[in-house]
Amino acid sequence: MPKIKKKRVGFKIDMTPMVDVAMLLLTFFMMTTQFRPEEATAIELPASHALVKMPETDVMVVTVNKEGRTFLGVDAQSLRAQLFGESNKLRPSMEVDRRALHDLLIQARIQNPKLRTLVKGDKEAPYGPIEDVLDILRQVKITRFNLVTEFEKN
Amino acid sequence: MAAVESGGESRSHARAGKKHKKKRRLSIRIDMTPMVDVAFLLLTFFMLTTYFSKPQTMELNLPPDEKSQVEVAESNLLTIRVAPALTRDPSGVKIAEVFWNIGTEPANRIEQKDLRKFLTDKNKENPKLITLLKIDRDGSYDMLIKLMDIVALAKVERFSLAQMTLYDKRQIEKARGS
Repeated sequence: MPKIKKKRVGFKIDMTPMVDVAMLLLTFFMMTTQFRPEEATAIELPASHALVKMPETDVMVVTVNKEGRTFLGVDAQSLRAQLFGESNKLRPSMEVDRRALHDLLIQARIQNPKLRTLVKGDKEAPYGPIEDVLDILRQVKITRFNLVTEFEKN
Repeated sequence: MAAVESGGESRSHARAGKKHKKKRRLSIRIDMTPMVDVAFLLLTFFMLTTYFSKPQTMELNLPPDEKSQVEVAESNLLTIRVAPALTRDPSGVKIAEVFWNIGTEPANRIEQKDLRKFLTDKNKENPKLITLLKIDRDGSYDMLIKLMDIVALAKVERFSLAQMTLYDKRQIEKARGS
């Protein structure tokens, strides 16, 4: 051996504070996290300067995707079971015919009069189906509803 | 790493003379490393999956019935019509073309970026003005949102949505031709 190995000094770092902080963060994230709701179809939201926050409970969402297909979703599982049948209660939203939408909206509102209506359309969704949906909303006397958008910077 | 030690050993012989023999405590060392590893794993998972930005919404009030028509003087009715332009932009997205007219006057073209100022000015000129928005069925949802956003930014409160009829389409064609 030509070289003499340097003797390493063993040292210990107290990890306790770091672990404490990590646990604290973990608890925080576990408490506050909300999982992105599963969606039946991918939606790219249009941008606007509107500042009203989206309500989270007691909502029903009418979704129109890029191809102009309509979906209806409600947040409560019991209501879903009533509207779409017991076997579909775990699905967040169901594709509905625009003719069936009329009756489903009325039924949903009878079950839960507090329901607020959200219209969620894809940026590139054709306006035709949207107009039909707005027309149906007018027919079932939902005159106040929200359009979901993404906040546009500047 | 993090470890817990129980320091019970030192006093075990302090009261050896007593009748009742105290149970001897064993010093326990728990290795916390796996737990901390899992905790970190979970922490990373939650940090990556959580999302804070909630989507915003735009509130819209529509008149309850189409039958309940309101009589408006022609000079107080500003119609904004939006239709997709004949040519698309290179990426294939529909471009909105905006036309305006008051009453039954012929329609005029206006650039979308000038619309906000235009609406503010018109409403200042005539506070009784009612804006009617008509969007072509061939247009996109984005056009509606953009238009309503502009209307909201221009602080126009008296507006309504209406269907685009054949008459409206002819007006647009005329405006394009001129």
